[in-house]
Amino acid sequence: MLRKTLSALIVVGAVVLVSSAGPATVIRPTRFDYTMATLPNGLQVVYLEDHSTPIVHLAMWYHVGSKDEKPGRTGFAHMFEHLMFKGSKNVRPDQHPSLITSVGGQSNASTDEDATQYWETVPAQYLPMVLWLEADRMASLDVSEEKFTTEREVVKEERRMRYDNPPYGLLPEVIFDKAFTTHPYKHQTIGSMADLEAASIDDVRAFHDTYYVPNNATAVIVGDFDTAQAKALVEQYFGPVPRGKPVPREIPQEPAHAAESRFTVTEPWPLPAVVVSYHITYDGHPDSYPLHILAKILSDGDSSRIYRSLVYEKQIALAAFGEAKLIEHPNLFYAVAIVQRGHTPEEVQAALQHELDRVKTEGVTTDELNRAKRQFARDYIFSRETDQQKALQLAHAVVIHNDIKTADGEFDLFQNVTVADVQRVARTYFTPESRMLLTFLPGAAGAGR
Amino acid sequence: MTRRMGAAAAIIALCVGAGVAVSAQQWPKSSLPPPLPARSVAFPPYEIRTLPNGLQVVVVLHHEQPSVTFRLLIRAGAMQEPADKPGVASFVAALLNQGTSSRSAGEIADAIESAGGSLGTGSGNELSFINGVVIKDQVDLLLGLVADMVEHPAFAPDEIDRQRRQMLSSLQVSYDDPDYLADLVLDRLVFGAHPYGRPSDGTPESVGRITRDDLVNFERTWFVPNNALLAVVGDLTSDEAFAAVDRAFGTWARRNVPAVAPVDPPTPARRVIVIDRPGSAQTEIRIGQLGVPRTHPDYLAFDLAVRILGGEGANRLFGVLRTDRGLTYGASADVRAYKNAGLIVAETDTRSPATAQALRLMVDEYARLQHEPVDARELRGAQDFVSGNFPLSIETPSSIAEQVLSRLFYGQDPKELETYRDRVDRVSVADISRVTRELLKPDQLAIVLVGDASAFVGDLKTLGFGEFERIPIAQLDLNSLTLKRPPSFGPVRPGPRPALPPA
Repeated sequence: MLRKTLSALIVVGAVVLVSSAGPATVIRPTRFDYTMATLPNGLQVVYLEDHSTPIVHLAMWYHVGSKDEKPGRTGFAHMFEHLMFKGSKNVRPDQHPSLITSVGGQSNASTDEDATQYWETVPAQYLPMVLWLEADRMASLDVSEEKFTTEREVVKEERRMRYDNPPYGLLPEVIFDKAFTTHPYKHQTIGSMADLEAASIDDVRAFHDTYYVPNNATAVIVGDFDTAQAKALVEQYFGPVPRGKPVPREIPQEPAHAAESRFTVTEPWPLPAVVVSYHITYDGHPDSYPLHILAKILSDGDSSRIYRSLVYEKQIALAAFGEAKLIEHPNLFYAVAIVQRGHTPEEVQAALQHELDRVKTEGVTTDELNRAKRQFARDYIFSRETDQQKALQLAHAVVIHNDIKTADGEFDLFQNVTVADVQRVARTYFTPESRMLLTFLPGAAGAGR
Repeated sequence: MTRRMGAAAAIIALCVGAGVAVSAQQWPKSSLPPPLPARSVAFPPYEIRTLPNGLQVVVVLHHEQPSVTFRLLIRAGAMQEPADKPGVASFVAALLNQGTSSRSAGEIADAIESAGGSLGTGSGNELSFINGVVIKDQVDLLLGLVADMVEHPAFAPDEIDRQRRQMLSSLQVSYDDPDYLADLVLDRLVFGAHPYGRPSDGTPESVGRITRDDLVNFERTWFVPNNALLAVVGDLTSDEAFAAVDRAFGTWARRNVPAVAPVDPPTPARRVIVIDRPGSAQTEIRIGQLGVPRTHPDYLAFDLAVRILGGEGANRLFGVLRTDRGLTYGASADVRAYKNAGLIVAETDTRSPATAQALRLMVDEYARLQHEPVDARELRGAQDFVSGNFPLSIETPSSIAEQVLSRLFYGQDPKELETYRDRVDRVSVADISRVTRELLKPDQLAIVLVGDASAFVGDLKTLGFGEFERIPIAQLDLNSLTLKRPPSFGPVRPGPRPALPPA
């Protein structure tokens, strides 16, 4: 379905916008000139040559994230990501990052709900090293009990640092926990302290066997290399890694919500916060493009509706923003405001909801639409500057959309969104049944959580 | 669709007979492969010109994407604001895009965003800036707006009130953020009354007192072309870029700027401050001391020494705190070097009960950097990272421009960029020993702990930190060198001192 929509809508060259204000056309950014191949063991590999700087970037994605976690093991996908630096057959624990920095390179990894990504950027001549390092840990990760136990403490510190200690750090955890009943998007990728503590070294081995297999992996190489030479290196290092079993994908889906939900929670934060959320669709659904545009109209920049109304004109919010969280499975459109001193949470929440709901009745203007498209084009261009950014776009298209052509094709899908599309998606998704209203009041931690 | 295809692929895999992941035992032994032949790498071309009005302009060309990025630096920040009114520079920066004599805040936002641009403003210890990006066909519009913002800012009273309310509420939130507080308190301890020690966002008290005249005077005094640098980067020819800059900024009038007498920072003395924030899950830890100014002859060697302590990759602090003991997610040490002086800061965060242990380990590593010569391999590792990282540091035109701007800002010759790697490689173990002996003062360290004091003050004594000052978070006053609010002054909680009636 996605493929069909894409081929029907892709147009070449500049997209003409009809507008009374602002520029009339959007310059089409350069397309990616990549090649793609799949090894017999299932590893998908994308090659994109870019000779402008003598460096090379490898992005290694595994299609496993926190939505694949089992009950009682929240946070495991991310903790596992840390353990991938703790040694394999030919690489000592913690040797991976020191080899990379010893050549002036950079490397890291991250985990989200849907995927886990590892990356290295190095001077171009070190391409064999990064391929060898990634293949070795894919094939032969070997973590000791002691390293596992120490690293678990590191992950617990990461949770304390990012979520438990800063003001408003727990905001996302509470939002998604309240908004979802069933789908594992209910829990955050960092997981709970209790689940982190409950995990064992046996879980580590089983997780590696299940998900860290070439048939669940995508490698994207971008930079100053020769594709024929890189292909030979990829086959040399990754070819011998055996294919794994089919990867399980039994993820419980969120049922349709039948009625609005309301929650009030207390947290020891300086000012109250309010949230309005609606359940929406997934990334790549035809409605996802107008939803992204709608989020820009509501929340991108000082000219956006939520900022202008709540922060600038009414001055009832210290900060306010909205986001269409479009990821692999259906997620949320949510808006958050921090309540300005002298105003009530009820007043601010009502104003926030009003800004979302009035799109259903009044729609958006052509000027707003065109502005959002130019903003989108800007973001599109500036998210394709570095080798790392290019690899991220390509890997996302392969792993999340299962269609590499979306890495270029989405530009045109966005530029073809109409004001009618934007109003239609607001009417489709901003329904009372799918709505959640959440209020955070200053007070003792956790009451109502 | 996506998920159905995944299922189909899984079934095919099942049919061809699924393999089993290899165990570590079965995977063959191998060793690190040798690199391919090295590519040559040189600092990319750039061009510098100065307009007749004194504006220094750097242009870097880049044609891959149809976009233009710019950065305007003004040589004035917290250093130049009135000593009793911290926050003036950041207040001015926040108002730059909030109206000019001919455009309202809303009109500015509409114009920039409809052009596919975005813009940010801010200030630091010794500079203020406006950054932006735009799709290339709108570069004249964006540069014209920026010129209007610096030449004709309105500072309208209602915008000042609105911004003041925002700043006060933001400070209320920031004063509950342990990471923010730890940085500010360390600056105060190390720099004392020197302008670098003042809280650059102001305090609830100072923000309440700043007047329109303060803002206008600051802007009028310092925002002149002969006190500014501009970088333009992107998909233009060099003639197009300089012509666009000239169209936008050519009429900006030159004016003399006052000389700023350099101030020496105070002599440091050991001080341990515990900011008590009950209920904290972690303690934010900072240790630091005065460093060297950016143009100090030993800057490069000193920077390498501090990298061994806490720089990129495997460093000593990261090793002892994270890798060996799992006490933290992050541990690092940095040099921050400004025009007059600099700072070394080492930082980490750890669970409350481990606070004293983590602090002891940090201070011991800090002292060891001075007492023991560094291992030649450690130095080589830091040098290899810095010089090997060079090609990564010139990947984007913005990072190229940033490096050139930075040299110009500190009065250095940008040509030094071409010899940077050679100079890094020439630093010896003896150089490191000399600079750490001369510059590190482990017995004069400033130490800041922001966390739940009840969980760790008992251990501080046991681990050698018997003398410390404990300040309840509600009594913290960053305007004062004592850091403590007099008991009769102000509300119990910092922040909500009403400088304005509610909106």
